[in-house]
Amino acid sequence: MPEIFGTLIDVFTRTLSGFLEATVITLQLTAVGIILGCLLGLFFALLKLSKAKPLQMIANFYITVIRGTPLIVQIMFLYFGITEFVTLSNYWAGAIALGVHNGAYIAEIFRGAIQGVDKGQTEASFSLGMTKSQTMKRIVFPQALRRSIPPLGNQFIIALKDSSLVYVIGVAELFSLANREAAQSFQPFETYLIVGFYYLVLVMIFTYLLRWYENKLDFDKD
Amino acid sequence: MIKANNIHKSFGDLEVLKGIDLEVQPSEVVVLVGVSGSGKSTLLRCFNFLEMINDGEITIDGTTINHKKDNLSKVRAEVGMVFQHFNLFPHKTVIENIIEAPMQVKKKKKAAAIKHAKELLDKVGLADKADVYPNKLSGGQKQRVAIARSLAMEPKVMLFDEPTSALDPELVTEVLQVMKNLAEEGMTMVVVTHEMRFAREVADRIIMLDEGVIIESADPKTFFENPSNERTKQFIQLVE
Ligand SMILES: Nc1ncnc2c1ncn2[C@@H]1O[C@H](COP(=O)(O)OP(=O)(O)OP(=O)(O)O)[C@@H](O)[C@H]1O
Ligand SMILES: [Mg+2]
Repeated sequence: MPEIFGTLIDVFTRTLSGFLEATVITLQLTAVGIILGCLLGLFFALLKLSKAKPLQMIANFYITVIRGTPLIVQIMFLYFGITEFVTLSNYWAGAIALGVHNGAYIAEIFRGAIQGVDKGQTEASFSLGMTKSQTMKRIVFPQALRRSIPPLGNQFIIALKDSSLVYVIGVAELFSLANREAAQSFQPFETYLIVGFYYLVLVMIFTYLLRWYENKLDFDKD
Repeated sequence: MIKANNIHKSFGDLEVLKGIDLEVQPSEVVVLVGVSGSGKSTLLRCFNFLEMINDGEITIDGTTINHKKDNLSKVRAEVGMVFQHFNLFPHKTVIENIIEAPMQVKKKKKAAAIKHAKELLDKVGLADKADVYPNKLSGGQKQRVAIARSLAMEPKVMLFDEPTSALDPELVTEVLQVMKNLAEEGMTMVVVTHEMRFAREVADRIIMLDEGVIIESADPKTFFENPSNERTKQFIQLVE
């Protein structure tokens, strides 16, 4: 037993600086994925909630296609599949793929949250003379945001873990590095255990921050 | 103040209002009664265009409203509405609830809006609750805030849709008292309620709606003691 701890600590210290650098890349990819995902998500949620049928159809198409295909296919497609039109660096291909992928899920989260706001809220707002856009901006969105935090947090955690899939196009994020390290050192047991630990810590920090933000927004709580 | 002319309203195949004629004078208090499903809420909601009528005409303070062409937000700003379930904005404090529309719609300055809001809170007896969130209030307090919020827009007429139906019995009086004061100040009001004592004491006129038509319209004394319609008699027996 103490031997295992010994080697674990050895591997941990040896990989520390490399893994920390890779963690930064992982966080960057996740951040781009989430921010782009939220923008796309909001955009397509609004399309889906609009009264115009063609706009709804566009949103449905995006959501169905993205949710119906594996992320790894989307990553490969963006990096290798469209070189005739645009050439993306592997970093950006990965980041955009993550954003587009998460956008489809986040669109559904936003749509549900907006629809979940009690109809009485819009009616009260209208009855006071507020316009549709004032009502959306000042009454519906703030409440929808509050409702979407828990599922959104969940999606952020998925995005963080999913960022590991961009290893297939060789972005130097955590998991790519772990793969290389495991192969070179012949210590896959320790290496994968340690990289798992990195993800776990990141997820826990995420969870903590989200809970803090949720509490800050929690006007319904007694 | 409000004039309804031959109003028809259907939801799909279901005709809910079947030709309503009603005129509410300035400062008049009209209480609207009727069994569940008779169309009371629908009629009120047509008056501030939360529902659009299929046929007929609604005139508010001399202006006939064309709901396809007119700016409905502008019309609604002049017609206050109080809902059964309060519908306060949960993400805003009491005072923020009240100043929201005056600032957004009337472009009132914040200081002026707050000053007016505080006067209104004083009026409904909740001066000390300005900075709390709605979830900290009792039902009766919520409804009084909702009334203050409507009044902040200085409406020409106030509509109440069963304002005390969601309240515990001991909280009903405080809300009715606020409404009574409002009536005495000369506010034009249309009130849907099952509180017959309120109707008797405060109403200038009681109107009975039955399956989408007005079957009785009389002053309270006549309404209760000498109604002309058989169904009104049954209804009075039921609620008294
Ligand atoms: N949005 C709607 N869509 C379809 N039907 C509706 C809608 N709103 C009301 N109705 C129907 O219209 C009829 C009248 O409803 P309304 O709410 O006006 O009755 P009410 O007199 O207010 O009844 P209550 O005392 O129960 O509040 C009912 O049969 C109701 O089911
Ligand atoms: Mg009703």
